[in-house]
Amino acid sequence: MSYADFRLDGLEESVPEPVQRIAWFVFEWIPLAILVGVWELMSGTVVPSVVLPSPFEVGAAVWELLVTGDVLPHLQISLYRVGVGLALSIVVGVLLGVGMARSQPVENVFEVFLALIYPIPKAALVPLAILWLGVGTETAILIVFLACLLPIVLNSYNAAQDVDQNLIWSAQMMGMPSWKIPLKVVIPATFPSILTGIRQAIPIAFIALVSAELIASNEGVGFEILRYGEVGAYTLMFAVLVIISAAAFFAVRGYEWAERRLIRWT
Amino acid sequence: MVEGHVTISNLEKVYESGGERTKAIDDLSLEVPSGEFLSVVGPSGCGKSTLLYLIAGFLDESAGTIAVDDVPIDGPGTDRGVVFQDYALFPWRTVMGNVTYGLEQKGVDKKERQDTAQKFINMMDLDGFEDKYPKELSGGMKQRVALARTLAYDPKILLMDEPFGALDQPLREALQDHLLDIWRDLEKTVIFITHDVEEAVYLSERVMIMTRHPGTKKTAVEIDVDRTQPREDIIMSDEYTAMKNDVWQSLREETKPQAQL
Amino acid sequence: MDVGSATFDRSSLVSFAKGTVSLAVVLVLWEVVTQLGMIHYYFLPPLSDILFATDSSFVALTADGTLIYHGYLTVRRALVGLVIATVLGIAVGVLSARSKIMSWFWDPIIEVGYPVPVIALVPVFIFWFGTGDVSKIALVTLGCFWPVAINARNATREVDENLIWSARMMGTSDRELLRRVVVPAAAPGIISGLQIALPISLIITFVFEMVAGGGGLGHIEIQGVRSFDSVQVYASLIAIMILGFALDRALRILRHRLLAWT
Repeated sequence: MSYADFRLDGLEESVPEPVQRIAWFVFEWIPLAILVGVWELMSGTVVPSVVLPSPFEVGAAVWELLVTGDVLPHLQISLYRVGVGLALSIVVGVLLGVGMARSQPVENVFEVFLALIYPIPKAALVPLAILWLGVGTETAILIVFLACLLPIVLNSYNAAQDVDQNLIWSAQMMGMPSWKIPLKVVIPATFPSILTGIRQAIPIAFIALVSAELIASNEGVGFEILRYGEVGAYTLMFAVLVIISAAAFFAVRGYEWAERRLIRWT
Repeated sequence: MVEGHVTISNLEKVYESGGERTKAIDDLSLEVPSGEFLSVVGPSGCGKSTLLYLIAGFLDESAGTIAVDDVPIDGPGTDRGVVFQDYALFPWRTVMGNVTYGLEQKGVDKKERQDTAQKFINMMDLDGFEDKYPKELSGGMKQRVALARTLAYDPKILLMDEPFGALDQPLREALQDHLLDIWRDLEKTVIFITHDVEEAVYLSERVMIMTRHPGTKKTAVEIDVDRTQPREDIIMSDEYTAMKNDVWQSLREETKPQAQL
Repeated sequence: MDVGSATFDRSSLVSFAKGTVSLAVVLVLWEVVTQLGMIHYYFLPPLSDILFATDSSFVALTADGTLIYHGYLTVRRALVGLVIATVLGIAVGVLSARSKIMSWFWDPIIEVGYPVPVIALVPVFIFWFGTGDVSKIALVTLGCFWPVAINARNATREVDENLIWSARMMGTSDRELLRRVVVPAAAPGIISGLQIALPISLIITFVFEMVAGGGGLGHIEIQGVRSFDSVQVYASLIAIMILGFALDRALRILRHRLLAWT
């Protein structure tokens, strides 16, 4: 299934390579252009432009929000919440996952609790977090942390269980003390799976963030969307939506890019 | 036994990927009369599987024609049945479900397709396994199911792509003899791809040797053996050994330069 | 993207039993510490109060039908949306894996659409469709569409070409091919997509209920916060836990039934 199937015979000889590449790029993204075009056509005709502001209006609003800096403090606090929550879940998740995989007592103690929180959609814990931490950043961080914890625990747990026993034996043979083995052998061997777990966690982190901010926050992008909706500033509401979507998109893409670089080095 | 002859003339197959053109098959002509058992051997990468998939109609030829009973083929058809090396059984269907599939497509009614399928299941010594899923079967059994599945809808031509390549020696020999019985009883045309000279010579009336890349017909060796004898008598005979050596020599000329690389 | 496939299959009865000890210790500790008043009641009421000893306890709210009715509202919204998304997602996913034009059209849309945190559309959907069930179900559908479509597409792309060829040689027409071969062969991946979509459907429903009201367990839970009735928060969380567990189990049983051949 490749786009080459659309290629016209003989085209590759007559057109220089960079032009071809640009042509491809354009060709591949035409469907999105169609979508934006339909949006543009519908806005103000089929649907009133209040209900669905045109892409240009929304684009202008995004620009305005960024230039005036109105959205930046909210974006900053949101990214801070995602970042801290995710970082905590990585540290705790890897330790828990590896610990449970390599030690039966650790597994016995923690598995039941993980099995208990597993079926709860983490957004449903927001009210509980409000009881404990009130409305604001701590609640958002807790929800992001809890939501991201399981994918990271599961990936590191499964990978740490599958660590090649020969690796551990050869480390012991070379005189590595047993307390060093988890840190020096198991975690490095588990590394690729930990990266996979983090990649799965990033979109989940953004879902958790926005859930928390819609329900329990007075700042942050989720709250901004809600507030603009409530005061009737719909174009700005769509603009913030575009900004948070772009942030989530680039977080995933940026991570995948970094992961590829990292994998190439190791 | 007048049906099922294959005529291939000036066949050419070119693969294109990322602007690179690779010629897999070049100017190959071949006549396979009805009811013949033909084996195709060649060095790896010579395009023998490509040839089989072209005859099956899975791939489109770049030039030349393939005709069955003088009618040019147009895509896959029920006159040709393929047996794949990796069995290609439907994992979500039982043995019975797999064997009846082709009959369902033909519109045969339920009672009749059960009976026909049962006949071929018994023929392949699979009775008792009708309700098993493919994952519950060994490789040899899967290949027998695949063979039963193909035979059940009664194609005139059997196209076999190294069907026994993944099996161990005793199992392979048992299935080879089984296949010979079936070929005699059901009067099928068989085109059998293999890289095993012994297998090719033992099974077939004629062995075609293909050249190294790009593949075309190098030569064909007639194997004239009385196949009513038991296996040990056949393979011990001097004439059999001589014919096998012919094929082996011819194939070795093709593989030698590659082995030096 | 196989979030759903990585689950605690080990939470069988055996390993559960081993963990019961630590669970029991924590529950007893909870009851003792709270009864002694060492933690503020609002943060953590005694377990007995949450389970049965008060007017808004789990047992009380179940007995008067509150949790059952609102649980029904939540399940209805989540499942109707999930089912619509499943139908649309499988159609788009399978077709865009088998048709070049569909793939050309949908690939970039899926690529850009998938990372959008659909949950952020709650205010938009309130604005467009109001706070009622239609609005909630529509957003659940949108949120579940992406994982179902992507998994269906990827699973379809990975269907062994030999299976398709062998079906075609046995006389399967292109139209039948999808129903008789492609979809069954891709079924494991399609169901994995459903398993990813299930928690998403619940998250969207709960958040929507908390923001927009209209009943449902999310609404009941946030009401507990607003009326400073922390027992009600905990009681609805127990109901949510049971609900999440039951739906997850149901989907696993379905998977097991449908995919007995894997």
